[in-house]
Amino acid sequence: MIALGVFALAIVLGEWGQAQAQDPKTPYASMAPLDQYLMVDRDAEIAMARSPAPEAISRDAGVLVLGRHGYETAVKGKNGFVSVVERSWMLPYDDPEFWDPKVRLPLCLNPPAARSHLPLTFNQTELAFSGMSKTQMFDRTKTAFDKSELPVPEPGSMCYMLSKQQNFGPKYGNADPHLMFWFPQKDHMNWGADFPASPVDVHQYSPQPITEFVNFSVQVVGRTGGTHECSPTSDHNAHSVMTMRRRSSKSFRLGSRTVSQAVYTGRNRDG
Amino acid sequence: MNRRIVGTITLGSLVLVVVLSTAWQTQAQDANAQYPSMAPLDQYLMTDRNAEIALARSAAPEAISRDAEVLVLGRHGYETAVRGKNGFVCVVERGWMSPFDGDGAVNFWNPKIRGPICFNPPAARSILPLTYKRTEMVLAGQSKAQIIDVIKTFIKQGLPPLEPGAMSYMMSKEQYLTDNDHHNWMAHLMFYTPLMDGVVWGADLSNSPVMLNPQFSGAPEPIDVFMVPAGWWSDGTADPVRVR
Repeated sequence: MIALGVFALAIVLGEWGQAQAQDPKTPYASMAPLDQYLMVDRDAEIAMARSPAPEAISRDAGVLVLGRHGYETAVKGKNGFVSVVERSWMLPYDDPEFWDPKVRLPLCLNPPAARSHLPLTFNQTELAFSGMSKTQMFDRTKTAFDKSELPVPEPGSMCYMLSKQQNFGPKYGNADPHLMFWFPQKDHMNWGADFPASPVDVHQYSPQPITEFVNFSVQVVGRTGGTHECSPTSDHNAHSVMTMRRRSSKSFRLGSRTVSQAVYTGRNRDG
Repeated sequence: MNRRIVGTITLGSLVLVVVLSTAWQTQAQDANAQYPSMAPLDQYLMTDRNAEIALARSAAPEAISRDAEVLVLGRHGYETAVRGKNGFVCVVERGWMSPFDGDGAVNFWNPKIRGPICFNPPAARSILPLTYKRTEMVLAGQSKAQIIDVIKTFIKQGLPPLEPGAMSYMMSKEQYLTDNDHHNWMAHLMFYTPLMDGVVWGADLSNSPVMLNPQFSGAPEPIDVFMVPAGWWSDGTADPVRVR
């Protein structure tokens, strides 16, 4: 059994190494060893999971941590919010960081999103842990949505991503603090994304039939004691910088196929 | 917290109310006393039609509003001044889009209120009808109580279902949302949802960027309105959230 495991690991590492050699621009062509995605310090993962939302929200949120068999409840919540550190396989399928083990995406889901988004997180994680390729994961996820085994967003689904610790990979780093709102898929024009000076982005990543509406211009407004305090991240220490650039994409290659999707970002006023 | 007056106020299509001090309550009472009923209609109208079109368009970045339908307020209600191409509808709302009651109602009859707003297509279909209906009743000389009754009936019989993704832009630097110091309050986006506890969005909690607007909140419209700062005005200039 151990030998089989070692053999399998060797294959994985071998393929990974080959992919690196074949294309230095895609250093994460396949899944890295599982340990690299896990956080050794469980308390650190709990703290990171709580960091994307203001403390007034996250202190009573449920907290999930990633274990060897998937996400586990580390803290039971009281307010319906759920905090979790998602990993790279929650990025779009065309993202070169899809298998980057350094990616950490802490988010705090409100109750409707906890019910309707977390199943996707669990699904993707299970598929990744099973050793599937991206193409296989894509197909399985598409089928699950087609069969309504995965839910579309409930009305009012949204999440906080205000953590200074978030890491989208070397290209985007910790990006900008933002809120995300999820809807069943609609035409991007409905939101006015992809226009200069628009404060919103719209993502329609395949194969999810979901529109992800992102507001990157968030400034945290506190009303403690009746004053308005502002800062761009949940720990209100950092300075917000528009680090992500405008882009739009309509398709990408996945294995031997071309996949359609839509990504519209308009917030970068400098174009 | 030594600041005695911290409130921010009623917006044409949105209202944010912070009531924490006696000074504020006194101010609210003054405002209610100042605008107890509808002023002469002329005070709500803009004589310069082109100025109203420009003001309506200023609610969203030009790339959105230039192809939007634009409405202007006439003596018999809103009229289409410019036909649109992209499904957005821009309009300057008046004080009567405030809550009917409560502290947010202080500007309900304030004739100076100008709330430029650009609705995205789902909101134009499912939220804008409320603007039409309230305005129709106001221009017909109805009282608040009568308007509420009509709205209740409208909700049951004529209001289209709230569409997913309904939202609007309020990013005009020229908006006049309060008689207080910061007339234009802040550039923001608004999201419309079915009625739900504001806590579900983490609204109005310490350091949360989300605010629950009491504009509708089931009284009587069965809609919640959540607001998020936009960070800059529609002309691209920064609108950092001010410490008030």
